[in-house]
This record gives sequence, C-alpha cells and structure tokens, in this order.
Amino acid sequence: MNAPPLDVLQRWMLAVIQNPQGVEPGLATPRAQQEIPLPPGHLEQVILPSSLQSSVQRLQVYQQAYFARLLECLQAEFPALCVAAGEEAFRAFARDYLQAFPSRSYTLTRLGDRFPEFLASSRPVQHSASATPDWTDFLVDLARLERCYNQVFDGPGEEQTARLTGEALQEIASDQWPLVRLQTSQALRLEQFHFPVHRFATAVRKQQIVKSREEAIRPQPTWLCISRANFIVRRRELTSLQFALLSAIQRGERLIDALAIAIETTSEAPGSPLDIPDSARLTEWFRDWTSLGLFTEIRLDGI
Amino acid sequence: MSRPRRGYPDLGLGVGLRTPHYPHLLGQATRIEWLEIISENYIDSQGRPRWVLDQLAERYPIVMHGVSLSIGSHDPLDFDYLHKLKTLASAVQAHWISDHLCWTGVAGINSHDLLPVPLNEQTLQHVIARVHTVQDFLERPLVLENPSSYVTFACSTLTEWEFLTRLTEETGCGLLLDVNNVFVSSVNHEFDPHEYITHIPADAIVQFHLAGHTHLGTHVIDTHDGPVVDQVWELYRFASQRTRGVSTLLEWDAHIPPFPVVEAEILKARNTVKPPRHTAVGRQVPARPAADSCAESGIKSSAVPQPVVLETVDAE
Repeated sequence: MNAPPLDVLQRWMLAVIQNPQGVEPGLATPRAQQEIPLPPGHLEQVILPSSLQSSVQRLQVYQQAYFARLLECLQAEFPALCVAAGEEAFRAFARDYLQAFPSRSYTLTRLGDRFPEFLASSRPVQHSASATPDWTDFLVDLARLERCYNQVFDGPGEEQTARLTGEALQEIASDQWPLVRLQTSQALRLEQFHFPVHRFATAVRKQQIVKSREEAIRPQPTWLCISRANFIVRRRELTSLQFALLSAIQRGERLIDALAIAIETTSEAPGSPLDIPDSARLTEWFRDWTSLGLFTEIRLDGI
Repeated sequence: MSRPRRGYPDLGLGVGLRTPHYPHLLGQATRIEWLEIISENYIDSQGRPRWVLDQLAERYPIVMHGVSLSIGSHDPLDFDYLHKLKTLASAVQAHWISDHLCWTGVAGINSHDLLPVPLNEQTLQHVIARVHTVQDFLERPLVLENPSSYVTFACSTLTEWEFLTRLTEETGCGLLLDVNNVFVSSVNHEFDPHEYITHIPADAIVQFHLAGHTHLGTHVIDTHDGPVVDQVWELYRFASQRTRGVSTLLEWDAHIPPFPVVEAEILKARNTVKPPRHTAVGRQVPARPAADSCAESGIKSSAVPQPVVLETVDAE
C-alpha cells in the first residue's frame, strides 16, 4: 500500500478512534472507509503490530483513551448531573454527546458547552408544552446550572477591583434615586429553573446524602442569582420579583424603572398575588446583594 | 549553528502546576525552583487559575507547556490560539513555550489526545514548515516534546530520534526530552531507549520531563499517576550525562498526592545526576517487567494516557 497523504491518514485515524463501538467497527464505517478503504483484517497495512500486540490492540489504546479522557472531563464538569443520572446513564449520554458534538476547541473547558442543549434535544417528545416538568427537565436544569458554574468560575469577575459597598448606596441622596443606575458584576448570571437544582448540586459537592429521587425532583419554580466572590461561585435563591428586578438592573435600567418593570412583569405572571416590597425590604435586598458583590458602580443620569 | 539550549537557561528542578497544590504553593516556601503550567488552562482564564498563576509568577520562573498546538496536524495553525499563548507568555514572563510532536485533531475536531505522526519525509517537511511559522509568530524558539506513542505507522520510514534531529537542525527549535516517554515508547515500539537518547542532539535539549507510567504487560501507558520508576531514573541519569545540566520537571497528573510528596520525588533528581557508583549504563531494549499488579488485560480504568487537564470549579 502506498503511504497515504497526511490529511487522509489523520482523518482516517480520527474516524476510527472516535467510534464508541471499538476499532473494528470504526474501521468499517463509511467515514473511515472513505479515507482508507481497508478490507477487514488488513489493518496491518496501516498500523504495524508489535510482538505483543496486534494492530487492532495498538489502535485500541487511542480509541479507548479518547472516550475515557473526555468522559472523565465531563464527569468533573457535571458532578451532580452524574450522581443524578447514575454513572452508567451519564456515560451513555456523554458518549452520545461526544459523537454529536465533538470538541472543536483548544481547551477542555469548552467541552461541555452544548451538553445541556444536547440533553434537552434528546428528551422524549412531550405531547403538551404545559406538561409538568419531569425527570428529563431536572437533568437538563442540573446540566445548565453546572455549566453556568463553570462559566462563572473561570469567566470575568471583579476580585481585584473595588466593588460597591452598602455604605456607598446609603450615601445616595433621596432626590437622586430616580437617576440611579447600578453597574452589575461581570460575573453575575440570573437563571431560572423548573427545580431547585442548586440544592441538589450543593449536596453532591458537600458529599451529603442526597434525598430520595422523588423529593429531589419535585418541581418548584426556582430563580437564582449566580455570582463569584473570592474566586468561589456563589448562588442565592431569589423570588420572581427579585429576579425581575435584578434582570432589569442588569439590562441597565434606572432603579426606579427597574422596579416598575419588575412589578409589572411579575404581576402578570400566574401564581400567588404579588407582594410589593416597601422601602425597608428593598433596602434589605440591596444590602444583601451588595454584600454578595453584585454591583460594581453607581451611575447617575446626567451627572 | 544555534546556541546550546536555544538560549534558554537551566532553571533547575521544577514541577507541573496542578490545582490541588495551589494552597500549598501560595502559602508556603518550597524547594522547587520553577513551575510549568498547562497553557490551555490559563490562556482564557479570568478567574482563580489566572489569579493564582499571577501570584506564583512573582515567586517562581514559569514555563508554558501546551497540549493543543497540534504542530503535526494537516489543519491550518490556529493563530488566535497562538496569539493567546504569546500574550500569556509576555504577561507571566514565561521562559519558553513548549508543546508536543503530535497532532491533536483534524477537520476542526480536537481529540485532546497527543496523537502520533507518521515518521517520514512528508511529515517532516510539513512539521518543519509549521515550526518555522510558529517560531516567527512567537518570536522565540519553540520547544517540542517527544510524545509517548502506542502505534507504529506502516508508512513511517524514520526513527523518532532521526525525525527530531532533522527537525531541530532545520528549524532551530528546542527539545523537551521526556525521559519517561522515551521509556514508554521503547517498550511499545521495542527499541533501545539508550540508543534513542544517544542519537538525540544533546545541545538542543532545553528541558527534561519525568513522570510515572502504568505497565500493562503488553504495553506501557503514560499515565503520570505515580512516582518515577527506577528504569526511568536510570535513563535520566544517562541523558543528564549527555547534557550536563538541563531544567528538569516532574509531571504528576492523576492520583495527585500532597505537594510534599511531589516535591520529594523531583528532588531525587539531584542525587540521580551524581556520577553513578557502579558500572556504566547498559544499552538494551528494556526487559519486559510484569504488568502492574492492578492492571488487567486491556486498559484499566485509570490508565488514561495523558493529557487530562481540567480546572475544577470551586462552588458553594
């Protein structure tokens, strides 16, 4: 056999080692055959055997390592999802994911980028859009949360710059409040889930005994603010009104407008009657959010 | 003729920077003399990994070791990636930038493995051209490591040492001689590791790597999951006699022990490079030791060839 061109040899080898069924099934795939059309039992034409290993066994080292390495990375990125799904199911999902979305980045930190999306697209068909969130939704929520943690962990933050303090907020004169906008932290993420998956994720990280599956997956609309302080990812449960308020502030609305938008959007949502906060409760909220480092700067319109 | 070590200094004994050791390295003085980072874990980081690196760069010389350059791939070079390497190297004053003689993917896909290139004239010319391009871009000699490998291509016509020698002669790049990889490949490809080291141009060697491996009886996997074995220490001694002092680094990437264990392991290199007390090192294909007691046929679950490099999240 003539030496195959480098690009042909590389595409062929990748096609074989990316096949989860093994080297021999990989060799027989159209993807591999298109590059180097090897009849069964002729791998020695491309890969030489050693005195102790056949050509197939030698290539198998790379085929097995491909999945072992990347599954290990996905398990490290989605530890709670792995516990929830069970290791066997997780590895099956992950293997399918790697087939559908092989890494196209130089960094492993991007490996799980599309895993939540993949899980969502792999779910059985739902007959009704308003169906009660189920086990698949729980897994997708968990995947989204853990992906978010990763992005916040290694993304931009303000650990090395001064953040806004509660005192700075208190110094704003009352007549200036209508003009105030707050710059939010670059690390801030506001996310909505069908389940309180953050509690499950924390229990797994702390190696606590996870409650029964039935209890863990009881649907409960959940709004979270995820941020970072001292390089540790923090999360805080929010009410729907707090979520809407912070979302509006993050979009750059003035505080006074943000509150009006939040009240309007939240009051339109079905559920319990809206509990409009008084100034004391609002002060308490902002004190808490400031202590979490959610704001970096005060901006006053026209000043 | 290029200068010995490509102008790069002997930094002494170092270790690969790994996440579990951040607190120890930030909080205590150590006896190691430099740190090697996995470049991909830091070039995009805006969080704790990068902050830790910045702190440690003030205390230790830093070397950048990459796993995604893919110098042997047929795919175009990724200049965005190269730009990030160059920017980080400047920021942390990296002494040099290294990667592997390998390809990691093709057609835009990254396997995140260090896949072997066929060792022939076609590949050599391809890699030479790419090394020139990378060195021009980075404005410094690139340093390339011999990988562990597990297959021999039928179309290979050169030995790895012939390939690397020609590559260094043509491009002026430096070599990161991974002594453990020489041993691993010598078992897998049944050659004499001493012959390999004898033929590698000693003045091109910028750095040594040491690591542990897993012997499975029929082949050896480069797992970086334990101490350096005696046969590798012996090869290191042999290689050191040829180079007379080169930066040496220990990689420990799986089952990572507390930092003092890693530190003690690399400090053994000091005694190892002293003149041997008895006969000269023999030259032969390594004897086939028994498989590691925990290894079974096939790859045991933990025997994943390096690299596996991922920062893990610290979250509530």
